Amino acid sequence: MKRILLLTVVAVLLVSLFYGCTPKASQPVTLVFAKAGDAVELDPADVTDGESVTVMNNIFEGLVRYKPGTTEIEPWLATSWDVSSDGLSWTFHLRQGVKFHDGTPFNADAVVFSYERQRDPEHPFHKYGKWEYWGYCFSEIAKTEKVDDYTVKITLSRPFAPFISTMAMFTVNVVSPTNCEKWGDQWFAHPVGTGPFKFVEWVKGDHITLEKNQDYWGEKAKIDKLIFKVVPDASQRYLALQKGEVQGIEFPNPDDLSKIEQDPNLAILSQPGVNVGYLAMNVGEDTPGFQKPFGDVRVRQAINYAINKKAIVDQLYKGTAVVAKNPIPPTLWGYNDAIQDYEYNPTKAKELLKEAGYPDGFKTQLWAMPVSRPYMFDPQKIATAIQADLKAVGIDAEIVSYDWGTYLQKTENGEHPMALLGWTADYADPDNFLYVLLDSDSATVGSAGNIAFYRNPEVHKLNMESQKETDQAKRIELYKQVQQIVHDDAPWVTLAHAKQILVFSKKVQGFVLYPTGDYHFESVTISQ
Amino acid sequence: MEEETLENEELVISESFFGESFRALRKNKSALIGLAIIIILIFVAIFAHLISPYSPIKQDLYNNLKPGFWAGNFKNFLGTDEFGRDLLSRIIYGARVSLSVGVIAVIIGIFLGSLIGIFSGFYGGTLDNILMRITDIMFALPSILLAIVIVSVLGRGLSKAMIAIGITYSPQIARVVRSETIMVKNTEFIEAAKAIGAPKLRILRVHVLPNVLSVIIVYTTLSIGSAILDAAALGFLGLGAQPPTAEWGAMLANSNHYITGGYWWVATFPGIAILISVLGFNLFGDGLRDAIDPRLRKKM
Repeated sequence: MKRILLLTVVAVLLVSLFYGCTPKASQPVTLVFAKAGDAVELDPADVTDGESVTVMNNIFEGLVRYKPGTTEIEPWLATSWDVSSDGLSWTFHLRQGVKFHDGTPFNADAVVFSYERQRDPEHPFHKYGKWEYWGYCFSEIAKTEKVDDYTVKITLSRPFAPFISTMAMFTVNVVSPTNCEKWGDQWFAHPVGTGPFKFVEWVKGDHITLEKNQDYWGEKAKIDKLIFKVVPDASQRYLALQKGEVQGIEFPNPDDLSKIEQDPNLAILSQPGVNVGYLAMNVGEDTPGFQKPFGDVRVRQAINYAINKKAIVDQLYKGTAVVAKNPIPPTLWGYNDAIQDYEYNPTKAKELLKEAGYPDGFKTQLWAMPVSRPYMFDPQKIATAIQADLKAVGIDAEIVSYDWGTYLQKTENGEHPMALLGWTADYADPDNFLYVLLDSDSATVGSAGNIAFYRNPEVHKLNMESQKETDQAKRIELYKQVQQIVHDDAPWVTLAHAKQILVFSKKVQGFVLYPTGDYHFESVTISQ
Repeated sequence: MEEETLENEELVISESFFGESFRALRKNKSALIGLAIIIILIFVAIFAHLISPYSPIKQDLYNNLKPGFWAGNFKNFLGTDEFGRDLLSRIIYGARVSLSVGVIAVIIGIFLGSLIGIFSGFYGGTLDNILMRITDIMFALPSILLAIVIVSVLGRGLSKAMIAIGITYSPQIARVVRSETIMVKNTEFIEAAKAIGAPKLRILRVHVLPNVLSVIIVYTTLSIGSAILDAAALGFLGLGAQPPTAEWGAMLANSNHYITGGYWWVATFPGIAILISVLGFNLFGDGLRDAIDPRLRKKM
């Protein structure tokens, strides 16, 4: 009896062995890309983090877009637009014959739905999101109206210089209204857009699968399937790429770069990123994480003096970044090069701490992201290095970390005394840094982009002036002033501007790096 | 720690029994090697501040990932880690952390486990049933998983990791102690003690406890090794020691990706340190079991 059972098992196993060998008609071309972190949500209007955005870049589209590899605007779902002479009224003419992945036609109603749900507190779908970005970049939009089926009018409450640039952002990507109605509060996990890839599945913490949109209105994607796999550890991503399990990775370990360069099967794509990695010190007295010492500018300056940024950039970033002295990167217009950075000077740091009444330092927490970010490849390491620098001047900082989604939420709530974070530009305008990250408007507890909760009325005034100003030269002057004030008040330690680095298998061709850090896979091909 | 319990045992178990055990132990070469390793470890842990060449947390970024003596660098004998901290000093201080975690965690486990085991075995009945079903539930979970669950409830950190490991060890100890207690309970001298009217607690204290002590001692020694390993595992997962504390498991975790970059020493030496110390406790524990357990000794 036992023998018969055994034979059956063996037979079944043998059959299954051959079953896999039946020739298939045509293998779908699949690209697996290893990401450092999982998406937080897949609703383009309700996220702020790059890990979510780089997935959605392939699912959703906006009225205008960046020409691949640039920050120049070109018409996309809108074929053209008109501006009124006062700059307050924008009329977009929409592309016809475009359909969402669920078959819903793309028209003025969809655009109005996508925007009004974020703006109008009375909108039935407003309650399903926090819409942080709407507050950061689109608060000037007074109303979005349908003129006819393929024309939309957007009215601004005040002139906003970077308006058309912001229209290429993921926040104002157009979503399918029928799909939103179908899923309600769960819609963020079932994205439906008009883009070159369709959403298939999302296994949280593991992978997101997209497939080619066969009915795409423009040039169709060249690969059939696109899988974003979550591999938080940089060396594991590299190993997976070496073994051919994945065809592309983000944020390689700087220590591995010299090895990758020597590998004949791998290609490094790199360019200076429009980003900043920083250490924010919480100065918001109304936040739960506020600690008294950080209210004193001398303490914040002392911390700036205490941290050896150059050593961190040289030895931990391994030359894949430049030291930052301003919140905006030198690759962006308006950079104030006249600013004299705080040099590494622990003695001066100690003196300042003594003056401020903390001769023996104090105890605090240093929050660090759990995942690699484009502006900081290994936040935990950088936190450890900063911890040692602070210890040297008497400040005892405990390193605290949460999972990525929680980390963002808690820092937006202001639960940290000190936190590492960074920013990659959404549009090439200093406004995207200085307003979103350092203006009092963005320092709302619970949805803060300004996690230092730095609220300087002077900065706010200059930011507002610059948003209204259309003369670029005048705007540069205003932003230079803002940078000077921020430097003096020192709510941050600006750490580094990192290069954007992706590594692909040599078989993968046609990937274009965007200064904004977006990932678009429709142009990618894989040779066998 | 070791010496202390041995002394306690000496007080309660007859001299000849202890002497006999010790003689048996002396014949066991591997146990002696284990003992030597343990003594060296304890020495290193106690005098870490005197023998380590540098501070374990002093960083020197421009001197990071430097190879050690094999490349002629005698300043940092085992090289430096990614922050330029001296690896030898970190391993020396790591002995202090790992050893204290191992010992304290096991003490917590032994205390809880013996308490449960003795009461369960001695009183039997419903109490036994309830306590053993609880340990059954804890047994159903892999110990490291259970430790992770407990740490996530208590929060991260070394002291919490100790408690977590201690709790996960208690059911095993409870089982062993319980079966030993049941055996002792049915012996004639306990019957005799009962017959002359000794109160239950006195019987527990004077007759049962000394007789299960040998099992507890053996189990303690064997558990310290695995507790060090579990503490390293928790440290590796980032749940144990927090930076910049020098802890072997955390050192291993922070440096594992440097192996691909060719900086093998950063991960190798903490690994070897864990290996040697666990080996030491296991060898000694095994030898101790053979020496103390009369049933096993007869077979030898």
